[in-house]
Amino acid sequence: MRALTKARLRLRSLLRRGRVEQELDDELRYHLQRLADEYEAAGLSPGDARLQARRDMGAIESNKEECRDARGLTLIDSLRQDVSYAVRALRKSPGFSTIAILSLAIGIGANTTIFTFVNAVLLKPLPFPAADRLVVFNEQPLESGKPLAVHPVNFVAWRSRARSFDALALVQTPPLNVMGAGGAEQIPRLSTSSDLFRVFGVHPVLGRAFTEEDSRGGGAPVVILGYGFWQRWFGGDPGVLGRPLTIPGGSLTIVGVAPPAFGIGLTQSEVFTPLPLDPANPAATGSRAFEAYGRLAPGATLASAQAEMAVIATDLRQQHRFDEGMGVLISDLHEFLSRESRPGLRLLMLVVATVLAIGCVNLAGLLLARGITRRSELALRAALGASRGRLIRQLIVESLVLSACGGVAGLALAYWATQALSAVAGGALSSGATGPIRLDATCLTFTVAASILTALVFGLIPARQASQINPESALRERSRSGTGDRRQHRLRKVLVVSEVALAVVLLVGAGLLLRTLTNLGRVPLGFEASKTLTMGMFLGMRPPEARIAAVDQMLDRIEQVPGVVAAGTIQFMPLRGLACGTGFWTEEFAGAKDPSRSQPTECGLVSRGYFAAMAIPVLEGRTFGRVDRTATSRVLVVSQAFARRYFPNGAVGRRILMQSSNQALAEIVGVVGDVHHNGLTIEPVPTVYLLHAQTPGYITNLVVRTAGEPSAYAAAIRSAIHEADPTQAVSAFATLERDVDKVLARPRLQALLVAVFAAIAVVLAVIGVYGLLAYVVTQRSREIGIRLALGATAAAVFRQLLGEGVRLVVAGLLLGLATTVVLRSLVSAMVFGVTTADPVSYGAAAVVFLVVGLIAAAIPARRGSMVEPTTALKCE
Amino acid sequence: MSRPTDLVQGTLGLLILRVVALEPMHGWAIAQRIRQMSNEQLRVGQSALYPALHKLEQQGWIEAEWAVSDNNRRAKYYELTAAGKKALEAETAEWERLSAAITLVVRPVA
Repeated sequence: MRALTKARLRLRSLLRRGRVEQELDDELRYHLQRLADEYEAAGLSPGDARLQARRDMGAIESNKEECRDARGLTLIDSLRQDVSYAVRALRKSPGFSTIAILSLAIGIGANTTIFTFVNAVLLKPLPFPAADRLVVFNEQPLESGKPLAVHPVNFVAWRSRARSFDALALVQTPPLNVMGAGGAEQIPRLSTSSDLFRVFGVHPVLGRAFTEEDSRGGGAPVVILGYGFWQRWFGGDPGVLGRPLTIPGGSLTIVGVAPPAFGIGLTQSEVFTPLPLDPANPAATGSRAFEAYGRLAPGATLASAQAEMAVIATDLRQQHRFDEGMGVLISDLHEFLSRESRPGLRLLMLVVATVLAIGCVNLAGLLLARGITRRSELALRAALGASRGRLIRQLIVESLVLSACGGVAGLALAYWATQALSAVAGGALSSGATGPIRLDATCLTFTVAASILTALVFGLIPARQASQINPESALRERSRSGTGDRRQHRLRKVLVVSEVALAVVLLVGAGLLLRTLTNLGRVPLGFEASKTLTMGMFLGMRPPEARIAAVDQMLDRIEQVPGVVAAGTIQFMPLRGLACGTGFWTEEFAGAKDPSRSQPTECGLVSRGYFAAMAIPVLEGRTFGRVDRTATSRVLVVSQAFARRYFPNGAVGRRILMQSSNQALAEIVGVVGDVHHNGLTIEPVPTVYLLHAQTPGYITNLVVRTAGEPSAYAAAIRSAIHEADPTQAVSAFATLERDVDKVLARPRLQALLVAVFAAIAVVLAVIGVYGLLAYVVTQRSREIGIRLALGATAAAVFRQLLGEGVRLVVAGLLLGLATTVVLRSLVSAMVFGVTTADPVSYGAAAVVFLVVGLIAAAIPARRGSMVEPTTALKCE
Repeated sequence: MSRPTDLVQGTLGLLILRVVALEPMHGWAIAQRIRQMSNEQLRVGQSALYPALHKLEQQGWIEAEWAVSDNNRRAKYYELTAAGKKALEAETAEWERLSAAITLVVRPVA
């Protein structure tokens, strides 16, 4: 109880200071009153009595002071003292304080910025209720393990059999053409089975979600608007339910509006339509080309669900031909979406943590030096009765004040940096997994924690060192050499060497990433990215002849537009993350169509003129032309990789049968150059190109090569398309250059960021080297003066001092290189075209640091060698 | 008023506790009561009394409350706490032991 009462009293004296003071005053005043009364009772006049009483009481103020002292100085009071003392001390040495706060601000600011991204992408859960229960399904070949899309037949089987899930949804994202004010427009659309909203745990803001009837079709076609689309097209009108959304050839009835910002990762859909899925006949919906998501049932875990699905998959493998060798993979949705950005963000966190560590080490060294300078002051305080604990507390408070200022400045820096980085390159870092990235409360907590941690890290050792003083000797002596000093000096050297090592590690990392970036930029794409325009289009659910005619007429019109060099279409553009894989039989096995005899290949569905539009070189034979129609014999064009692998003696003239439906034996008429379709780092795979005019698809992308700047031709091309067919909608136009740029965006950003941080680290480490050497020179100026006076040359002194500095730099360099070799596996996923032990990067880092370190050491060494012996000997 | 001796200074806390144990009182009354109980031998002035009172309050051996005094003015009354009672017993025992020891030295039983 006593502790509680004590605490309450202490709190009272802190919080209600005024009240306590008033009470003290009242109490003494009462005493005065009684004394006066006594005198009055003894016969004095009221005035005299008062006067006498006053005289007796003596100095009331000092009495009050004694009472205050008796109450004791609270912890808060002494902390307050410490803080104001620390602020005064820091203001007295503005140079030190500025450098310290600046390096802290950079370190803490960088860490907070990167943490903001890490938090938004990796740590914060997806914005759905119980988002950790959301999973994504992939079919996966048992041997290759590459995640593939989902087949509707399998989906229906999973839905009816699996007990581990509350709800499942099957999803596809073909764009939708809608009739807007300015003609047909293509918008992103999510086509889904009925349970989408249930899976994600959200409810439409207006109207209803889809039902089973909607999926079964038959009734009026319905649509749910996305929130943004509802605002944009209908002005947020609440009476929009039941109204039609006009599409080419009809309309869809609006039955609901989705909640704001509802989307799955990258897919930000404007509208939602029901996926035609009849459980009795799921094969009619399509083939293995869908996405599937689910919500785990209460009590199920990812592992238990995966086990159940493995059993179901085994069954399905027996049941369906197309399921041979296929398994099912379930992944946590958040992990799946952030998978790509994870390694990059982790690396960046390590990098900025290293920068902060270097900053702290720098500060520790500076504080150690300061401790030596302030020795007499601390000794005086110790002599006056301050305990060692009190001195340490004082010095730690100083560190805390420094890091608090650094933290605040760092926070401001981080706020600005987050905005800038998010605007410029947010997509590259987060791979679109979240919305705009902002500083929030979690990041604030992180900053505060980082500030406190850094203060303790760099403040503790110097504080302990500085408080270890013998007051007598410290106050007496003026020269500062002794064993305590030597220990501090050694400690400082260790700190500097470790700083240098860390900076070298970052430099090597930056070198590796920069080389990777250059290598990526040099990869031959296989096509010419400049001066090309691309537009996406959905040809509609029309019969094949209509789709073939549509493309033909469109290309005819576009080729007429002045400035167009060539035009063509392809179903999946390179470098956009979509590809189609299939198999084929050579002529001898074409009759039997035995699946075990088919060989794998990638396919591309193109129109005439595609290769010219992309400037892909024709190596043998010819490409598709106007002559190739449905009526004429089937022709194919293959890539060089295909020819090399399957027909090394010549591919032109050979006949193969493609495994996709509706194929006949086709003749290879030409071989074209390889294209890096799946990514810059992935080797081109054998590819077969089919002709749209013979096997049309539904979705395609238009590629137009222009004579000049592509954007100038966009309007003309769009009108040419609408001349051919006014209801053909096209997406916004893009350029191939933009696609290539997007692929390079992340490696470029990573290389740039790491390079920037490495540069900062080098600067900090160099400051550390310089600082230490400058200090040494100042300390030893007397000794140097004596040596010079006794006949040593300035050059010799310079060499000796420089030698000390160089030894430090080299030690740090070697330590850093060794550490890099040990840690190199951390970046192995991110380098391309170089090994993680790349001698060029290591060598360059070593050279850079040697040069910079040499300069940093040379300056104070030179200063030391130019010491005037007389002045050095005179002053202390 | 004569100044209290150094000895009284050291044991002032004990005296206050003893007085307050009888009934709650304010500073002035405590001083009067000490004077009374010691047959006018011990006179405590406010310069020693109030710091001692505040120290005892800080230690939690007495607690204070403002009330209207006998002359119709507000005064700060001090009361012994449970911890204070224990402390009083301990200090009293200690004092008796100490004073007996000193007496033995100063006036040895020849």
